[in-house]
Amino acid sequence: MRAWLSLASFLGGVVMLTSACATSEEWAEWRSHNTHFASGTHGMFSLRNNKDGSNPRVSRTDVEAARQETWWGKAITVSPEQIFQN
Amino acid sequence: MLRHHPRVLGGLLLTAALILTVSGPASAVSPEDALMPIEKYTTTKGKSLASVHRTQLLEFSEQIYNCLPWLSVHPGGLGFPRERESRTDDRYLSTWIFVDQREDPVFAALPRERRVSAMFSRYGVDMLRRMAALPAIMHDHDVAGLSVVLSWLKPGTARPGAKAINETFALFIDKDTLLDFLAKRMSPDEFTSRARFTLFDGEDRVGRVPIEVWEDSFNSTYRAANYEPPKGAACP
Repeated sequence: MRAWLSLASFLGGVVMLTSACATSEEWAEWRSHNTHFASGTHGMFSLRNNKDGSNPRVSRTDVEAARQETWWGKAITVSPEQIFQN
Repeated sequence: MLRHHPRVLGGLLLTAALILTVSGPASAVSPEDALMPIEKYTTTKGKSLASVHRTQLLEFSEQIYNCLPWLSVHPGGLGFPRERESRTDDRYLSTWIFVDQREDPVFAALPRERRVSAMFSRYGVDMLRRMAALPAIMHDHDVAGLSVVLSWLKPGTARPGAKAINETFALFIDKDTLLDFLAKRMSPDEFTSRARFTLFDGEDRVGRVPIEVWEDSFNSTYRAANYEPPKGAACP
C-alpha cells in the first residue's frame, strides 16, 4: 500500500512538473526561436493571411484597429504613479 | 422569434462575455500621444528636457509606431520621469512599452521569473539600445540614465468573467553601466546587479525578482509579414 502511495506521489509530481512548468525542451525551443514573438501568439498573426491564399498588406492603422478589439487597453495595469514621479 | 439550441446560446453568451471582458474602446496611441505632456513635469529640469529633446523623442516615437507594429507605447509613456522613490531630481529617458502578447501555453508554462527574463531579453534590451542611440539625449548631463517599462498580458487572465491582468516590469539604469553592458564590456549578471527593477502583477507590486539576460535579436531583426510601413517612414 505504501509503495503504491509513493509511486502515485512520484507520478503526480512528474505530471505537475511537466504541466505547470515548461519542460526543458519547451524552454530550449522558446529561447532559441528568433522567428516568432515571445509566445508565438500575437495579434498581428490574425491579420496576415486570408483563407483564399491572398496576402493583404497590413498598415499600422489596421494593427491599431485590431488592438482596439483586444486585451491590452482594458487589462488591469499598474499606474504610472506607482513607478514614476513626474 | 428565433430559437437557439442551448449549446449555441451558451456559446454566444460565452463569446459576448469574453468580448465584454477583454475588449474595449482602447484609443490608438499616435506617436505624439506617446510623449509625456510638458505640463505634467513638476520641475524645471523635467520641463526643459522635454522641451529641448521633443523633436528627437517624437522621431523615436514615430520609429516605434511605424517600424515595430507589434509594440505600443503607453500614452504619455515616453519622456523624462524620475524614479518613484527618488528624493532627487534625477531624470531618466524612459519608454513604456506594451507587448502585444496573447495567451499561449508555452509562455504560460514559464515560471514568472522566466517570463520576465524572456520579455526583458527580447524587448527591454533592444529598446534600451535604441534609446542609447539618441546622441543628444545621451550626452545631456541632465539625463541621469535610462528606463524601460514593459507590460504584457499575464497568462491565464484573459478569460470570460475575469478582468485581464498585465504584468509590468520597470527597470532603471545609469548611462555608464548601460553603455558598458551594450558594448559587452560588462556581463549581464553585473548589469542586472547594478540595475534597479521592479515587477508588478496588475496593480500589485511584486518587487525585485531574479532575472537572467541573454542575447535575443528578435526585436531588431523581425519583419512582420505583409506589414507595410507608412510611406516615407525610415525603418532601419
